[in-house]
Amino acid sequence: MKKTFLVFRNEFISTVTRKSFLITLFLLPLVSLVVMIVITGLQKSTGTNAGALISNLMVPSAKTTLEGFVDESSLVTKIPGAYQFRLTRYTGEADAKTALAKGQISAYYLIEKDYLENGKIIYVRPDFNPLGGSIQSSSIDALMAYNLTSGNLNLYYRLQNPVNTSVNTVDSTAPERDQSNPLTFFLPYAVTFLFYIVIITSASLLLNSITGEKQNRMMELLMTSVTPRQMLTGKIIALGLAGLLQTVVWSGSGLLVLRYSGRNLALADAFQLPASILLWGILFFLLGYAVYASLMAGIGALVPSMREASQLTTVVIIPLIIPLMFISLLIQTPNSMLSVILSLFPLTSPVAMMTRLAATHVPLWQIGIALILLVLTAVYFIRVSANLFRAQNLLSGKSMSAKNFIRAMAGRQ
Amino acid sequence: MPSIIVQNIVKNFGSYIAVDDVSFSVEAGEIFGLLGPNGAGKTTSIRIILDIFKPDSGTVSILGGPMSEEKKNNIGYLPEERGLYQDIPLERCLVYLATLKGMENSLAQERVNKYLVRFDLIEWRKKKVKELSKGMQQKAQLITTLVHQPQIIVIDEPFSALDPVNTQMVKDLLREERDSGKTIIMCTHQMHQVEELCDRLVLIDHGQSMLYGTLHDVRKQFAKPAVALSTPDPLPALIPGVDSIKQENSDYTLHLLPGHSTQELLQTLVKANIHIEKFEIAMPTLDEIFIDVVQKQGAVQ
Repeated sequence: MKKTFLVFRNEFISTVTRKSFLITLFLLPLVSLVVMIVITGLQKSTGTNAGALISNLMVPSAKTTLEGFVDESSLVTKIPGAYQFRLTRYTGEADAKTALAKGQISAYYLIEKDYLENGKIIYVRPDFNPLGGSIQSSSIDALMAYNLTSGNLNLYYRLQNPVNTSVNTVDSTAPERDQSNPLTFFLPYAVTFLFYIVIITSASLLLNSITGEKQNRMMELLMTSVTPRQMLTGKIIALGLAGLLQTVVWSGSGLLVLRYSGRNLALADAFQLPASILLWGILFFLLGYAVYASLMAGIGALVPSMREASQLTTVVIIPLIIPLMFISLLIQTPNSMLSVILSLFPLTSPVAMMTRLAATHVPLWQIGIALILLVLTAVYFIRVSANLFRAQNLLSGKSMSAKNFIRAMAGRQ
Repeated sequence: MPSIIVQNIVKNFGSYIAVDDVSFSVEAGEIFGLLGPNGAGKTTSIRIILDIFKPDSGTVSILGGPMSEEKKNNIGYLPEERGLYQDIPLERCLVYLATLKGMENSLAQERVNKYLVRFDLIEWRKKKVKELSKGMQQKAQLITTLVHQPQIIVIDEPFSALDPVNTQMVKDLLREERDSGKTIIMCTHQMHQVEELCDRLVLIDHGQSMLYGTLHDVRKQFAKPAVALSTPDPLPALIPGVDSIKQENSDYTLHLLPGHSTQELLQTLVKANIHIEKFEIAMPTLDEIFIDVVQKQGAVQ
């Protein structure tokens, strides 16, 4: 027990005093703080709110430049008031072409004779941009709708926007967030990546530490002082704690930054998360870490050096990447079958469940099943890794193929 | 009672037999040589003694019984694979390894510092281990081996990276430890070091024990009927009972024909009025014995 503690203490101190660890630990919160301060400053000077500011950063605001139209269908009788300065009529296409060439208009629409039958309108503009071509077409939409309804504004608005949904959830515990706020959209992404990064980094730290012992040629000396089990236990706890420290510092400072900016930017509603997510976060981190750390420990025990480990770590990390591949699905339809499966399957659940928890309200029984499955998987992998963690493997210089590794982790070595 | 008793240990790795029925014992207060060519099974034998590997069969008794966690704290080991934590300061590295041997932190600190002074490394104690030269690192590893004052010391090639001054210092240290009653096993290829330091030895080749006994017995066992002679007088070309004569200045090695004794030769020389400055049975060097045994074993294999 004492030796396990000594290994633990040495490992923890060497990890958290490493420059690279300290830099990543504090750099991320610092960067987000700086970003928030800049946004707050911008908000104060421009008067826009943060949400709009962020959407402006993502989507360029549409320019209201003048466009022309040529009506061969004779349907357009009047230009609605709001579009008087955005659309101008030309009687023939030749006039419109000349105006476009002179730069008086940025583009023109040719409303064809049989428009009523096929809705065909030709859009003529000088530049070629097949991907961003639809930016300006809202004016013509409005023009046609207005004229087709003979100026009946109510009918026109209903046609433009037939359903005006307002969502009322029966479940009162679900996080209530302003759905139109882009920050609401970012939050589940942030949580997903936080968990992915923290689990991967702490599990990799363990792999690094074990292969480091091999590279420093310390294994043989250590084997005469501590048992492989003491070494593995000490290291797993130390690096798990380092990972937890990272999670707490990152999410804690994230919350602080949000609280601070919430006061200044009125963001609180957008970011309101139930406090329980912190508890689930700690549990899913610890169990996810236990699963992936023991897999990494298995690799560490079997390979002679870090270089040899890379192929095997790729195999191990794939299940953790799957939730990232389905991130949109997890966030947009968090209660779909696939989302539920991903958040219950023990190799994907540490990340996928956290994504769902950040995106919606997850029934308690699902969290419970995910946790139980994770505990069982963690126990299994810890036992297999502990068996692989014996002197013969630790002192062997033989390389290991992915196939043999999977066999070993399945307990067939 | 011997501190270490190894009885008929066998270890296979798959179909490869690394150690094949090796037995020996080591007494307290002696330096015991564990010799053998590369890949002979020395390291595997040591790992079995130290309980890193379990033998497939056979037993090892350490300090009167099987290995235990407490007994591990009473062993100092300098493995052939030399390693230290390269990225931390020397002193912290040595103190950590000493505490893993059951020492309290404060005592470990004090002893490490004493050894750092003795090994002339005290100025380097705050430097990262990787900044030290190979020889310095080897001295640091020796400190790790000795700092917890173990009853049993196992050292693999202790002189390999050391200059003559440090080699002498380590030799003195090992003799000191022996005289204070420690049990020392030394693995080496350097036969002259064995001749100088070891009281007894075992020679392993292809996993099997080839020679075992005191240095003197082993050499006697391999002594051929020959005499080392020093004389200022020229020797006659033909001496009765002598097969061949090898000369180096005034030193001669006379190989006898079968059935002739050294006593007869001495009488013949005295009768011939040859002045004798030295006359002794020529003992083979350990180097010669090593090569002889290993080559014979190679031929058998």
